[in-house]
Amino acid sequence: MNPVTAQRIRSTITHLLLLAGVAISIFPFYWMFVMASRTTTDVFKYPPELLPGTHLLENIRKIFDNIDMVGSTFNTLVVALATTVLVLFFDSIAAFAFAKYEFPGKNILFVVLLATFMIPSQLSTVPSFIVMANLGWVGSLWALIIPGAVNAFGIFLLRQYAQGAIPSDLLDAARIDGCNFWQQYRNVALPLLRPALAFLGIFTFIGTWNDYLWPLVVLIDPEKVTLQVALSQMKGLFTTDYSMVMAGTLLAVIPLIIVFFIGARQFLSDLAAGALKQ
Amino acid sequence: MATTSIAANAGKDPGAAARAATGRKRSEYFSLYLAISPFYILFAVFGLFPILFSAYLSFQSWNGIGDMKFVGFAQYQFMLSDQFFWKSIVNTFQIWFISTIPMLFFALVIAFMLNQQMLRGRSAYRIAYFIPNVTSIVAIAIIFGSIFSNQFGLINAGLQAIGADSIEWLNTPWGIKIAIAAMVIWRWTGYNAIIYLAGLQAIPTELYEAARVDGASWVQVFFRITIPMLRPIILFTVITSTIGGMQLFAEPQVLVGNSGGPGNEGQTMVLYLYEQAFIKNQFGYGAAIGWGLFVIMILFSLINWRLVQGAGTRGLRRGARA
Amino acid sequence: MAPTRRAFLAAASGLLGTALLGTSGCGRGSYLTPEGTLSLWYWNRSISDTLLGKAPKAVGVPFVPQKIGSDYKSKFLTSLAGRAYVPDIVGLNDDVATYFPNSDEFIDLYELGAKDVESEYLQWKWARGVTPEGRMIGFPMDTGPTALFYRPDLFEQAGLPTEPDEVAAKLDTWEAYLEAGSQLVEALPKTKMLPNIPSTVYTQALAQQATRYLDEKNKFIGDGPQVKQAWDLAVEANRRKLSANADDWSTDWNAAMSTGRIATFVGAVWAGQILSDGANDTKGKWRVCRAPGGAGNAGGSFLGITKYCRDPEAAFKVISWLQSPENQLVYGLNEMKLYPAAISSIEDPRGQHKDPFFGGQVSNDVFATSAKEVKPVYLSPYDNVINPAFISELTNVWSAGKNPDAAWNDALTEVNRQLSHLGLI
Repeated sequence: MNPVTAQRIRSTITHLLLLAGVAISIFPFYWMFVMASRTTTDVFKYPPELLPGTHLLENIRKIFDNIDMVGSTFNTLVVALATTVLVLFFDSIAAFAFAKYEFPGKNILFVVLLATFMIPSQLSTVPSFIVMANLGWVGSLWALIIPGAVNAFGIFLLRQYAQGAIPSDLLDAARIDGCNFWQQYRNVALPLLRPALAFLGIFTFIGTWNDYLWPLVVLIDPEKVTLQVALSQMKGLFTTDYSMVMAGTLLAVIPLIIVFFIGARQFLSDLAAGALKQ
Repeated sequence: MATTSIAANAGKDPGAAARAATGRKRSEYFSLYLAISPFYILFAVFGLFPILFSAYLSFQSWNGIGDMKFVGFAQYQFMLSDQFFWKSIVNTFQIWFISTIPMLFFALVIAFMLNQQMLRGRSAYRIAYFIPNVTSIVAIAIIFGSIFSNQFGLINAGLQAIGADSIEWLNTPWGIKIAIAAMVIWRWTGYNAIIYLAGLQAIPTELYEAARVDGASWVQVFFRITIPMLRPIILFTVITSTIGGMQLFAEPQVLVGNSGGPGNEGQTMVLYLYEQAFIKNQFGYGAAIGWGLFVIMILFSLINWRLVQGAGTRGLRRGARA
Repeated sequence: MAPTRRAFLAAASGLLGTALLGTSGCGRGSYLTPEGTLSLWYWNRSISDTLLGKAPKAVGVPFVPQKIGSDYKSKFLTSLAGRAYVPDIVGLNDDVATYFPNSDEFIDLYELGAKDVESEYLQWKWARGVTPEGRMIGFPMDTGPTALFYRPDLFEQAGLPTEPDEVAAKLDTWEAYLEAGSQLVEALPKTKMLPNIPSTVYTQALAQQATRYLDEKNKFIGDGPQVKQAWDLAVEANRRKLSANADDWSTDWNAAMSTGRIATFVGAVWAGQILSDGANDTKGKWRVCRAPGGAGNAGGSFLGITKYCRDPEAAFKVISWLQSPENQLVYGLNEMKLYPAAISSIEDPRGQHKDPFFGGQVSNDVFATSAKEVKPVYLSPYDNVINPAFISELTNVWSAGKNPDAAWNDALTEVNRQLSHLGLI
């Protein structure tokens, strides 16, 4: 078999496997679209309706009539952007310090950091609310942004990534050139951490965007809530208009896909570019 | 124990010690502490009180509304004799096992395929594999309900089509767990694949080229270069999916409800905590379960840490020898 | 406030060294809406938005309705626990009794003149909002009278009567219902009589009784005949293989309903809404009649006024206006399909429509009879802990073939353990 044919066969197999995974991955999303374009009765029909219907615009109109989509999207955007920026900065400086430097108490501090990660968040809803009530932050978006501004998950991720991605001799060279910690961070670490930062940024943004229980508890004015909380207002006790909720959910996902698309370019551009960087 | 293993891990960077030795200056320490301080400051303000509060709560009987009543270790005693608590631990571990291993394996394979140099349509694939992570959980619940439905599900339709007996997935102990695990795998494989992909992109291409020049096979490259170089990232995904798996909540809740379906077979530890606190108004007991869960998680993460660390180090040595 | 908690808060604040914590204490001045207005928490479709829009003007009280969606109770409990930003007026679900041990968190509506309108509402419904000590914390909103939903076409094929009156007469007891079930599944092997045994036999049979798990002194009586009978009926339904084993409102339930695989179920009035949403293809094929065993209730909610309310008198005006018999009829029943608690609105001809989903039958007529016959029953604050023990053992019976007697004993053992954990025995 000549190498070109072998390459072609391998590439075909890769595509077939990847496409099978794609079908599985996007089917529920497609279904969400089907539900959003039909009536609630159709959602539960048996056998299920597999093709999109004609009610998408009507459902979108209904969701705009029922909840403040524009206002809540704006609030969510503010929270998600602010949180992401803060997380990227605070997590990366901490991770850089943990990954590449020695200082007294480092190991114990890192263990504490990891341990906090293991506390189930459901446990802290009530006491966190008490803290916010005492700070006078209930109802304010600060109550969402500030506690989420730095997290153990991101520090852990970036530390792991930095161990492999930042060569120690580069840092030593920078030090010899007289760079202090912050200059090393800016000139050496930050560029090399970019792929991991893009990943962390994307998923911080998504996580904040989709966060539900804490915003529900801590925001009090239904006019000033985040998107997920606003969408949940449509849930009834006995029956819910699912097609309308799905239309809203579909709209809420679009910004996330855009963010992913932009962010992913940061770490998934051509390998050639990666090679040049090296 | 934790300290030593992590110290060993951190100490493996040969330059670090040297840098620390030359730069043991106050100003540098100050910068380092400043760099890590935001986490600890915010934790002290927002995280410490909830932890102290729940520790305190676990010694009380409290319905969330009225006065608390001090009960000593009664909640913990009750917990140790509570068959549903133990059952939730077993369930959690079973679901973790059947979801995490395939999930990380698929993620690695997908990342590896997506990382191929000549692959066309890579950005379309990326978006597709990322989609499960943003699909609404309500939609997912409805769909997985349809797929695993006892009498009308897609899988059962398939089984009947090939002449097999249908399975009441959501009524049998393993059926429930498999359904939940399938949902976990579906939601998180792409996510982990993207982490791996980010890690793969950081591996210098020279390594691959050198291997190719040496005539290494595809499999050799994978096990001798890719896996060892990805070790820190693999460790990260193992630890986070251990924690995520131990804290599994949303998937079983939407699929089988707050009590975990027939025989409580789908009830995970956090779901049990949630049910006790917010459905049955037993906040004191919920807090005790939270602490039980915390201890289990610490122990289990440590075991996994050591396993991955050990395996990774061996892999690296093998890679170095080759 | 619990002195222990205040002490703890203070100690914790000291520990943290944050002057912010503890100085203000909890909740002072922390309100949801501006001074001079009242806040009201409700969930989607529990009160008509049209009615809420008219209310402030009609009552002369400026209040702000705030719609809270899923996890309503978590949010409410968190605000009560934090003693801050608690709503003035709050919608409470059918688990209103879970607030009885802390009824001092609510204002006694009797003190605000609720007695004057008591006679206008169904007595059993009213009583469910009143604690054993006689404090009224919940004002009646909607109710969930139960009936038998059935498919006359399938009944006909099985040689059973089809007209609602005949069906009600023939299937008057649960035993007769199960017997008819056997006849039906024999004639139609692909069809099941009912969706599942825990909620459509056990729960519904129990809902018809005058006692449940605890008496008014919170002494356990759940080993008595009222529970055992319901249990035995469920076990018998399982033995006769009448159940489709489809959980309420699940995919299976919806699919089985649309494909005619389930012939009947006993359910509350609002289940008709779910049925017509989920199985709209079967429109016209369903009828309702009196449930075997008689009238029962499932679901239904209340409005309460918390002790944090800034103007209880005005709040009561809002509540009693929103839930006046006229508004329960026009905006509750006719607009939102919420079944009223006010007697005159149940009987009013304006609420008696021919329902096309039920083949033109006046279904509200059946529910009206049921609503008026429900027996008053004491639902305890701990039913949410006790009930799952029975349901889960019953589930073991049908799903794992557990011996029913062993399951019953295990249920009682578990209840015992839970009650001693709660300090009730």
